[in-house]
Amino acid sequence: MKVMIVDDEQAIREALGRKLKRDGFDVVLCGDGLESLRAFHAERPDLVVLDIVMPDGMDGLTVCRRIREVSDTPVMMLSANAVTEEDIIDGLNAGADEYLIKPIRLNEFVARIQALLRRSQMSVSDTEQRYDDGYLTIDLHRRRVYVNGEQAHLTPTEFKLLAVLLENAGRVVSQRDLLENVWGDGYVDDVYYPRVYISQLRRKIERDAANPHYILTEHRVGYRFEKQTPSVTP
Amino acid sequence: MADFNSITILVNGVTLALAVAFIIILLWSDSKKELNQFFATFLLFVVIWNGGALLWQAFQQLDLDTPLFSIAIGLTELGFTGASVAVYALTAVLVRAHTPRFRVLAFVSLAFIILYRLFAIFNNTTPYSNFDDYAYFQRQPLVVAFYLIFDLGTLILIWQNRRKIRSLGITLGLTLFVFGQTLGFINPELQIFQFSLVTSAVAALMVSFSIVAQEIIKPLAERNSQVEAIRRVSMAITSLASIESVLDQIVAQTAELLKTDGGVSILLLKDNELETASTFRLPKTYMEARLALGQGVAGTVALTRQSRLIDDYGRNWRGTLDYPLARETFGSVICTPLIYGGETIGVLMVIAAKQGRLFQKEDLYLLELLGAQAAVAISHSHLFSDVEYAHNQLETVLISTESPVVALDRQYRLIFANRAAKSLLSSVWELSVGASLRDLIPVDALPRDRAEAVRELRRHGTYTYEVSFGDKVYLCSLARIGHPRTTGWVAFLNDVTQLKELDRLKSEMVRMTSHDLKNPLQAAMANVELLRDDLLESSQHALIPSIDEIDWQLQRMTRIIRGVLDLERVKTGLVRLESCPPSRMIGDAVNELTQFAHSHEVRLVVDVSDSLPNVKCDFEQFKRALVNLLENAVKFTARGGTVRVAAYARENTVVFEVSDNGVGIALDVQPRIFDRFYRVQQKGTEHITGSGIGLSLVKTVVENHRGSIWLTSQEGEGSTFYISLPSVGKNSYSQ
Repeated sequence: MKVMIVDDEQAIREALGRKLKRDGFDVVLCGDGLESLRAFHAERPDLVVLDIVMPDGMDGLTVCRRIREVSDTPVMMLSANAVTEEDIIDGLNAGADEYLIKPIRLNEFVARIQALLRRSQMSVSDTEQRYDDGYLTIDLHRRRVYVNGEQAHLTPTEFKLLAVLLENAGRVVSQRDLLENVWGDGYVDDVYYPRVYISQLRRKIERDAANPHYILTEHRVGYRFEKQTPSVTP
Repeated sequence: MADFNSITILVNGVTLALAVAFIIILLWSDSKKELNQFFATFLLFVVIWNGGALLWQAFQQLDLDTPLFSIAIGLTELGFTGASVAVYALTAVLVRAHTPRFRVLAFVSLAFIILYRLFAIFNNTTPYSNFDDYAYFQRQPLVVAFYLIFDLGTLILIWQNRRKIRSLGITLGLTLFVFGQTLGFINPELQIFQFSLVTSAVAALMVSFSIVAQEIIKPLAERNSQVEAIRRVSMAITSLASIESVLDQIVAQTAELLKTDGGVSILLLKDNELETASTFRLPKTYMEARLALGQGVAGTVALTRQSRLIDDYGRNWRGTLDYPLARETFGSVICTPLIYGGETIGVLMVIAAKQGRLFQKEDLYLLELLGAQAAVAISHSHLFSDVEYAHNQLETVLISTESPVVALDRQYRLIFANRAAKSLLSSVWELSVGASLRDLIPVDALPRDRAEAVRELRRHGTYTYEVSFGDKVYLCSLARIGHPRTTGWVAFLNDVTQLKELDRLKSEMVRMTSHDLKNPLQAAMANVELLRDDLLESSQHALIPSIDEIDWQLQRMTRIIRGVLDLERVKTGLVRLESCPPSRMIGDAVNELTQFAHSHEVRLVVDVSDSLPNVKCDFEQFKRALVNLLENAVKFTARGGTVRVAAYARENTVVFEVSDNGVGIALDVQPRIFDRFYRVQQKGTEHITGSGIGLSLVKTVVENHRGSIWLTSQEGEGSTFYISLPSVGKNSYSQ
């Protein structure tokens, strides 16, 4: 497994790199945004750890968006800057799968990376689930989603989220269950995640994200995937 | 002799006719007046005497020798003698020197003369046939005594009270009358008696004319000017001018109305002392004079609330002086109290010059009339100026303040807008008092939650919200006008743009600083962990405790920074109020702290019923507050202690209670514990670490939720914190 760490602070990226190397990862270290994009294409890492505030014009959010344009590779934001919920949501909206706030303990850092990798590589083929109502097509086996005939690019987290909801179609999945099943143990307090990813997901698959038909909110409980009858769709 | 007789007849006739006319005029004008009564008596004797004399002359001319002749002489005698008594009585009344006893004496004397004369006429032993006989009779001692006593008395009275007789005509007439009467005794041989009669008759006419002029004609003529003067004083009352000009008007009008040749002074009661408030034609130094109650004429009048008339200040006033040198310079003085609403507010005093005019009772009545008007004028002016002063003061404060202030009535019509408000709003509205702003007020300028604003206004009378105009942000405080019925609202706008900017800058600073601290912290922590692993691998265990201590301190710094950022987040973040079940929030918070409490060997006890109503709150924020509160309680509780968390419904709120049996909080620091970065320094807390942010965050959260927080604490026994939040109906939450 190859992990790329992008941070303008040399001491941080080296310490994190040492820890990951020690735990058996291949590590690529980058000091700024542009360099990291070049390295991303050259090295094809399995996961990217991105600092948000970086000098030289390109910050972590931009790097994340650029990566998202071409790849579903899991991205973990690691920022010292987050203060408000909005900051975290901005990060997640840029396409990050995870948002960690510095300073973080090395053990937790490694555990999070492992969880994120597991999520992205998780096979759902055994369920053999497929959903098609004419407008929205979800092929869990091939990890493909089509909206109105066109393929939608979902990040691993978004896809996992959609899969969990689809498997429980018609039933409410609580926030806590979502966090446990999609993100993993140890995430139950990161209550922003479902909220942000659900809205991302809606933007990608719903006709009108503000007035969703597929993914419905059960107030203060959780979310529910509602299958549509094919006749409803044009 | 014949010429002389014809003149005598003419004079007697004219006198007789005029005297009768005067009697009629007098009795018609005012028969109840004492002076008029005495004057009429005098005129009656003049009529009798002139009638008698006329008859006598006529008989003599016709050479008739009848008993009627002696009756005519008798009547003349009677009238002449009676007139001398009556003129004395009249003079006494004129100069007001009589007493009730005097009146009895005067009438008894008159009665005696009449009886004596009648007796003489009807026992006519020696009828007079000519003036020689009569002259002889005239010299009888009793008659002479009568004349002398009363004529002399009259003269003395006139001299003594020459200033009291206002008309020169009266003085001259009376003197001439006495002279005329006395003339008859000088020498009978001079045949002068007839001349004496004529002189007296002319003098009687003179006196009559003067009295009628003074008592009837002059008052009638003066009435107009008096009415005019009172009208002017009334005008001063309604003019609502300043107190100074009202006072100046009153003294000037009083001086003119009473035609004083001295001055006028008005004194107002202040702190139980009379203060000279305004003067007219009096020395300037009098303005500084202050009189105690009971001091001087003014003080006495103010104390007794009775008007006073003093003929001669120097001679008649025995009390203390009103003003310096008053005894030497004041003549007649009249003074009346100024009473308004049953309260004495001062006195009005009119002073005549020494040897100047003498005030009469009528003058005093006039002054009392003026005084009543003046009292009203002064009081109104005082009230008006008080109100105006308060109004001006308030207006000055409102106008001069840099903060915009706007008042509207219920119809959204503008009542008041100060300069700041006008310059702020003129770009939006044409502001003029009375204009309706209902459709002009931008929706943004009104409270977002209108129902909430109305509720708050009804309950507390004020409501504060944020509003922006252009690039400025204002804190707008609304307050109700009128109670209990609301008649309008006043909005006080406080420019908080700079504060907001400052707050934003501060938040930015905190963020930057925290960010800048977090990167080095991350690097240090990561390296410490790596180092620890390296040490463990190379079995250098001796260094581990030091590394752990460094790690612990780094963690501590992390917690402090996190606390600061949490507070910042809570302060700037929007509150999403939802209906939350208290039991679940407490459960989550307790879960989060179980490990922490365990490591501190403190027991966490939860006592919450599931049937509590939900509360309106931001679940995450409020949970964070509870966590902070619990963490605090655990930290300040000794090992083996217990922290208890409970919740119960009370009225329309749910009360959360976190109690410990820890060190407690001293009473004097209790008000400060919610302050940011405040840390209690007391015995037993030295070892406890913290940033001093926890409770400040809790308080901010509770305020964001419109809840309240308070505590009870006993040093050494523990503390209990209470948070109350508004509840929403019954528990409708299910999972």
